[in-house]
Amino acid sequence: MTRTERIGASEESVVPAIVESGEFSELVDEGQTISLAQSPLDGSLGIFVVPTHTAEDPTKAHSTRLNEEQPIYFVNQHTPPSAERRMFLADTFAIFSALRKLVTAPEFQSTTSLGEDRRVAYVRKLAIDFVNFIKECWIHASRPVARPGGPLQFSSDHYRSLYTCFSLFVVLFIPEEGYANAPVGDELMEWQNTHFIEPSTEEGDQLSGLEKPWEDDTFWPYLTRAIIRGLNKASTFFLSVLSGHPSEEIQHLTETLISLIQSQPRLDNFSSEKEFALSTRRWKDKVQALRIGLDRVPESKRFDGFENWWERLSDIVGVLEGRGDVLKRVCEEQGGDWKEVCVAWGIFVDPRMRRDDLFETAKDIIAEMPSDPTNLEDNIHAAMFSGQFEETLHSSSQLDLWLSAHLSEFMGATGLLQVKEDADLSPRDFHILEYAEYVYCDHALWHITIEYMYSCGEIGKSRGDQILERVPLRFFQQTSDHATAERIRSGDVVGVLKEVNEACLQHRREGVRRTVCKIAARNFVQEKNYGLAASYCTSAEDWSGLGHIVDHVLEEYVQGSAFFVEHASSIAPLVQKLSTQPNLSGVFYYRLIFVTRFARLQGLLRRKEYADAASDLVAIVREDMAPASWWAVVLYDSIPLLDYEPKLLFSSSEASLLLRKLEDISIKTSQGAGLEYLNVLSRRVHVKEQADLLKELKLVRLALARYFARCAVLDG
Amino acid sequence: MIQTGLISNAHGDLVTDAVYDFYGLRLATCSLDQRIKVWRLEESGGTWSVEDDWKAHDAPVSKLSWAHPEFGSIIASGSFDRTVKDMGANPISTMPPLPAYGGSPSSSRWVERASLYDARGTIRAVEFAPHHFGLKLATIATDNILRIYECLEQPTLSSWQLIDEIDIANIAPGPSPTHVTRAQTAALATPTQTHATLDGASATLVAQALRETQQASSVPPSRAGLGNREADGGWTLSWCKDPYWGEIIAAGAGNNGVVKIIQLNSRRSHVLFTLEGSASTGFAASSNPSQAGGNDLTQQGAPASLASYSVTSVAWAPSCGRSYHLIATAGRDGHVRIWKLKPPPEDMGDDDAMHEDGKWTATSVGDFDHHKSAVGRVEWNITGTVLSSAGNDGRIRLWKATANNVWRLAGSIGVEQTAEEPAGQPESKDVDMEN
Repeated sequence: MTRTERIGASEESVVPAIVESGEFSELVDEGQTISLAQSPLDGSLGIFVVPTHTAEDPTKAHSTRLNEEQPIYFVNQHTPPSAERRMFLADTFAIFSALRKLVTAPEFQSTTSLGEDRRVAYVRKLAIDFVNFIKECWIHASRPVARPGGPLQFSSDHYRSLYTCFSLFVVLFIPEEGYANAPVGDELMEWQNTHFIEPSTEEGDQLSGLEKPWEDDTFWPYLTRAIIRGLNKASTFFLSVLSGHPSEEIQHLTETLISLIQSQPRLDNFSSEKEFALSTRRWKDKVQALRIGLDRVPESKRFDGFENWWERLSDIVGVLEGRGDVLKRVCEEQGGDWKEVCVAWGIFVDPRMRRDDLFETAKDIIAEMPSDPTNLEDNIHAAMFSGQFEETLHSSSQLDLWLSAHLSEFMGATGLLQVKEDADLSPRDFHILEYAEYVYCDHALWHITIEYMYSCGEIGKSRGDQILERVPLRFFQQTSDHATAERIRSGDVVGVLKEVNEACLQHRREGVRRTVCKIAARNFVQEKNYGLAASYCTSAEDWSGLGHIVDHVLEEYVQGSAFFVEHASSIAPLVQKLSTQPNLSGVFYYRLIFVTRFARLQGLLRRKEYADAASDLVAIVREDMAPASWWAVVLYDSIPLLDYEPKLLFSSSEASLLLRKLEDISIKTSQGAGLEYLNVLSRRVHVKEQADLLKELKLVRLALARYFARCAVLDG
Repeated sequence: MIQTGLISNAHGDLVTDAVYDFYGLRLATCSLDQRIKVWRLEESGGTWSVEDDWKAHDAPVSKLSWAHPEFGSIIASGSFDRTVKDMGANPISTMPPLPAYGGSPSSSRWVERASLYDARGTIRAVEFAPHHFGLKLATIATDNILRIYECLEQPTLSSWQLIDEIDIANIAPGPSPTHVTRAQTAALATPTQTHATLDGASATLVAQALRETQQASSVPPSRAGLGNREADGGWTLSWCKDPYWGEIIAAGAGNNGVVKIIQLNSRRSHVLFTLEGSASTGFAASSNPSQAGGNDLTQQGAPASLASYSVTSVAWAPSCGRSYHLIATAGRDGHVRIWKLKPPPEDMGDDDAMHEDGKWTATSVGDFDHHKSAVGRVEWNITGTVLSSAGNDGRIRLWKATANNVWRLAGSIGVEQTAEEPAGQPESKDVDMEN
């Protein structure tokens, strides 16, 4: 992730190592190698030693290993963010969200309602928020305070780099309203002087303490650099010091120079660029006059005993004249880099240099004075000065994926990036997704990960789905908060499940929502919370899942659970709810009706409300609600009702109906469908053999026979 | 790359496979010690502790797979039980936990729910189907047969039906013998490509043989005459994660460096496509990854015909909104290969599916020999953006695509001692030791 991280460095190794350096091939000869597994949680890898595919006998003894333990190492491509980094990611995410809200607003997207400048102005405000925030982080990271958690994961210098890059980006590409086509020199100079202070204040202090500073070696370089940097206060101070110089010529010339420096036109002081241009031309004429004056100084008077002051002054005048070759040479002599030349170019050589002009100029200058290839920050600056957006993003991603992602977002918002038609991903999406996958290495930040992914096109959204689906729902989380646990059980959607559900709704990820509901339902089934499971299935429109829940509830009966009636009544409200659902069909619905009716029957039997039980039982048989495998069970339950002595509970026609059903089972069983018709009864009464099961059913036949006899006697 | 954790001793013998569950909070491991362990991540400390541990087979366990959580907690395991093999079968067990009444993970216990005895060789790979297709399981064994099972009794998981048996070596290419001749040869065959030519020429015979064997409802004796059983037979499989195109599996078998993309079909499964890597010219041969792109099989020639290496691992990337599929292979020739598989254009009607243009096409988008030795495993991350590979050089390598869609090495980590770091000094790294 950081520049200190050695992506691809070959020397990296797990600890403790498995074998000594260079001995892995011997391990392979012994039939061992390594394998891996990638974690869905955070993309980390599990690495372990396995037998090779060629191992003749994978169980044979091995000896090369440092020890005989079987380790599993866990490694991650990215260093997971520390607490302070996490805060940085979360806080900047808030600004990112505001930007997304802005750029996705219809008014922003409409080409007619907002002018280009206005649009950029809105974006600029948020970009400046970013810059200010990074600045705060830099200041915070620079504080020499005790850090109990150890040193910061990202140094203050890292935040400083982010600060310089982001602020340069704003200067160059998100200009103030109305300044898009204005000369950019002053703004760049301000940026440079804020971030790369030269000449140093210490040098100035030291020189100002001297009586004859011009006798010091650093005097002329300091003065020249102060002028190149537009530091008028310092430069006029030291120029005025030269009034004490023994040479009359120099006194005279510096007087003019001071007035020239003080009067150099600045764009800010003019109401129009035209006036600025006119004033600049006049000023240049005055510089020209100074040059003529300078040239008139005879050779003999150009040396003051310490220094050839004339050459030094000539360089300064050369810079003021806007002579590029002089500027480059002087900057180089003073240890300045391409940046210093580029910025000064826009002040002295081409004061009307616009952003578009800068890109070409910078390319030429960088070709002569290359940026430091070992310094990512410098490379990013160079790419920005040259207007190379993809290169900017590439270098930024090497410094910090955070930077490339957020720069690409702003580039996207201001239309700077070109989209290749045949590419899978736009450059903006590519960098946003790279960053999102970095954030994903900290699974606690899943909601940030998905927000970045869902801000992209279809590919990004699909990736977001993968992450969102896999957010651990933590049903089994051991919690000391019993109230929360109870709320979950009582059907209140709380915690992660609620968050995931809301995220699905917010981003309209119906497919994910349904999958998550199905998983939740499955978990509730495991907890025997069938009511909640069924409502999740209904929410996911997972009818086969609902069918399985009904099966589970029926299985409770088969297993002889004392809570069957309670379980069934927890899903009973669905019958009513689903009856209003249009286009609903399927076996599951009838099974659902069956389980609720059957549970009611069991409840009546348990409460010994036999008359109602008998009429319910007949209704179940008459309306053919029971699945075939349950007929025998229902009939078996009729025995106590048939044998109920105080009263005859069935009419003879109802009793005949039961007999017919019994006959049906006998016939089907004799035709070889015994398994289908007797399976559930078999498990309910714990009898396996078909013949024995038929004997059990004979009990029903016997009860019916007795019942008919009683009917006959009573009728008679 | 940074090390974030360590289980110092996972099993009593070599680990043979480790698989994360859907969320990555549990890790199932199996071993030569015949046991399966399920580990749970303690998120606060980042350590792993054993949640359950049981003896699963009477022989080393070879592979594991987790089912999608919408079916509950289910693991399938394959074994290379030599004693059972002698009896002509190897078990695959599906093991869901008993219902956890208290909602606490510690109360769950894993029990064996089913054993499947159809394979006639070591089970080399097991993988549950994407959840859209229901609770289905694919297995491949050294008998060269790809088997597909479907669970018929989901609450109990007791009944699994063998719904397809596909002889990888002899499966007919193309949906019908007549269709194969044009689409397949046009898509794949090059003047020097003998496999495709053979496929085309023998398609009718193969189809006939298949029909005969299906009628006899027995496994074709495809292993007859094969000498080295470790090198031959089925190696690996991977399901296509995207339900749009139906049930498709990439499977590698034998030692001809070929991966077959098989469309499963209730009537007759067939080969949609065959991926063939060029023959290795040895581990020392250089392969410039930057030149890897654009090797379009439909236009360029010559994946060599003399390939003699096994594809030990194939991984089908989640497509994640892409218009094409990515399949990675690991070969014993030392190469990690990434293929871009393009389905036929969507606007082709059903009738057009038989048309030559309605074919799948494959392009090699990455061919890397950095491992310089046999590669045993490739695996994608959940978004299909990072491929990891494990080689006999003792290093794990990560592969990623650049902004310009060029695949390149993105990191690596080894298990050998680094020269400057003395053994047993874990303090220098951020390692969480598990006791």
